[in-house]
Amino acid sequence: MGLVVQNVKKSYGDKTVVDGISFEMNHPGVFGLLGTNGAGKTTTIRMILGILKKDSGEINWNGKKVERKNVNFGYLPEERGIYPKIKIIDQLTYFAKLKGMKEAPAKEEIKKWAEKLKVSDYLEMTAEKLSKGNQQKIQFIASILHSPELIILDEPFSGLDPVNTELLKNVIIELVKEGKYIIMSSHQMSSIEEFCTEVLILNKGKTVLQGNLNDIKSKYPANRISVIADRNIDNIIKDLGLEIYIEKDNNYEIKIQSEEDGYKLFKILSNQDVKVTKFEIKKPSLNDIFIEKVGE
Amino acid sequence: MRDLITVASFTIKDMVKRKSFIISNIIIILIIVLLFNIPNLLKLLDNGEESSNSKLLIVDSENIFEGNLEAINQMDLSYDAKISNEELSFDEIKEKISNNEIDAALVITPKDGKISMEYIVENLTYLDEIPENIVNAISTIYTNMQISKLNLTEEELNSMSPKFEFNLKQTEEEKVEGNVAVMMLLSMALFFAIYYCAYQVSTSITVEKTSKIIETLVTSTSPRSIVLGKTIGIGLVGLIQIFVYIIIALICKEVFLEPGALDSIINFNNVTPFLISMTLVYFLLGYAAYALLYALTGSTVSKPEDVQSANGPVAILVIIGFYLAYFTMMNPTSNLNIIASILPISSPFCMPLRIMMGIAETKDIILSIGVLLITIIIVAKVSIRIYSNAILNYGSKIGMKEIFRMYKNKNG
Repeated sequence: MGLVVQNVKKSYGDKTVVDGISFEMNHPGVFGLLGTNGAGKTTTIRMILGILKKDSGEINWNGKKVERKNVNFGYLPEERGIYPKIKIIDQLTYFAKLKGMKEAPAKEEIKKWAEKLKVSDYLEMTAEKLSKGNQQKIQFIASILHSPELIILDEPFSGLDPVNTELLKNVIIELVKEGKYIIMSSHQMSSIEEFCTEVLILNKGKTVLQGNLNDIKSKYPANRISVIADRNIDNIIKDLGLEIYIEKDNNYEIKIQSEEDGYKLFKILSNQDVKVTKFEIKKPSLNDIFIEKVGE
Repeated sequence: MRDLITVASFTIKDMVKRKSFIISNIIIILIIVLLFNIPNLLKLLDNGEESSNSKLLIVDSENIFEGNLEAINQMDLSYDAKISNEELSFDEIKEKISNNEIDAALVITPKDGKISMEYIVENLTYLDEIPENIVNAISTIYTNMQISKLNLTEEELNSMSPKFEFNLKQTEEEKVEGNVAVMMLLSMALFFAIYYCAYQVSTSITVEKTSKIIETLVTSTSPRSIVLGKTIGIGLVGLIQIFVYIIIALICKEVFLEPGALDSIINFNNVTPFLISMTLVYFLLGYAAYALLYALTGSTVSKPEDVQSANGPVAILVIIGFYLAYFTMMNPTSNLNIIASILPISSPFCMPLRIMMGIAETKDIILSIGVLLITIIIVAKVSIRIYSNAILNYGSKIGMKEIFRMYKNKNG
């Protein structure tokens, strides 16, 4: 059960923008829909929500078509939008009522989420007086205040400063704990890696990689070592035939061919009494995998 | 249905809270109060001066009228006439005019067995002959003077001025009641009310597209609820505005006007509950038809600067409809006026007036409302479908070809 997307296609004239995407989301958590700009992420999301008509394929939620009457969903669109001249509390109440909430409980929920996202002071203000980041948080509240079971967040962190990004991340973690199904699209891998259990990487409308994030990563051998030493170890690294990736104040990122290279380096550093405060053999990050797959 | 009410009530709240709405309504109410106070203002101005009548100097140096010219001041000609038997030169009269002692002068002199009348004013911009009422008054005074010299008996005098009774009759069987000028004014009021309210629907939809809120909105409710909810909301605001204006006008009539002051303009016996209800029905139906057309054009643009050009075709349609009703009203029993009262683009501006004139047949009213309702249903269906398909167009204005393609796309 959950969300099933099967062989979905969409074309505009001769240009295929989504080419036979399939994935399933069987359990609560965060599903990452990744890809570069123009890869087809937003088109896929719009087809899931029925805003855009798919050319072919199936999209179901618990065996039913994804429609307002079948699914209680929340959506944060990539195109940020808010009524500029209407009070925040009024527009959030409006959206809550459209989602079937009564006015009083809606206002309670709005207050709760506004406190969590630190926008309580802005509820009586018109949207045009708010910063872009705060407008984005308001729109995020509009997408979740009716407690949807399926939440679709299109590039939720774009345009947010680090403090607000952290704030939003904590809320998303909380939503996952509550058992929500979340689809999150992004082209910023680092911001999504910590949530996603499943990912799908799109390139030019086609799936280039998909599956459980840990499984994917396990298929990629370690390719880097991160070392913090008490002195310069350039010569030791070069003698071993390894390539320094980054070096700053004796903090090293070193490229390796296999984990064996790491063990060798660790042994030499021990033998030569180099004091090491950090030594980590690292697997490729999602960003590395993404660049490898999409940059091909 | 619940979403429809939610959208409508949100639209109403949004509209009535706008500064532009509050200011424009205050201005309209002030204008209504001012219009009803025009007679009082004129009275106030009159009190400042002894008289607003023009000052006319009649120079009869030869005393041709034998002192009878004073009778001109009893003739209610809106002139304060002063009679002079002194001979005055053109320059002397010119000086009196430039000193504002007089506005005009009439110099009477005998000439070749006739009586010459010379009318002198500052300039002849708006005058190409002596004012007719002065000519008639002078002629009457002269005739009466001559008659009195004939020493006629009372009977002979009476026979010279018989009591006439003038009556009007028409050859057509249909009797037209009411003042055509008032009808045209009502037609214009309906036109502005319908046009102004309907245009708001387009603006409201474009605002949602320009502020990019539309994607959140269409995943929260159906395009049908959005389009119809907005149309209903703005229509209700318009209806309430009309009620408020009418109530204020009625209060002003009672407070500021003398009883019966409007009787010569409007026959209030003609303003029946049926006429009032039918006018409201036509306002609402006419508004709905044009508002839904505006919803269509509003959804095809995503930039505020494109709104006017996109709405152009609908504006032309409203104007054609209005003028069709307006000009055929000059001949209300013509076939063209009957057609205008049935055509959906002009019937809202035409049929209420035919009802007021008492020449609208029941079958024509039913046909006219039926045509309007069918038009509204068709326009609503097309508009909702175009709206559904044009939601994600954030680019330039959509052309006719694209609109046609969108209509064929059943995504909506």
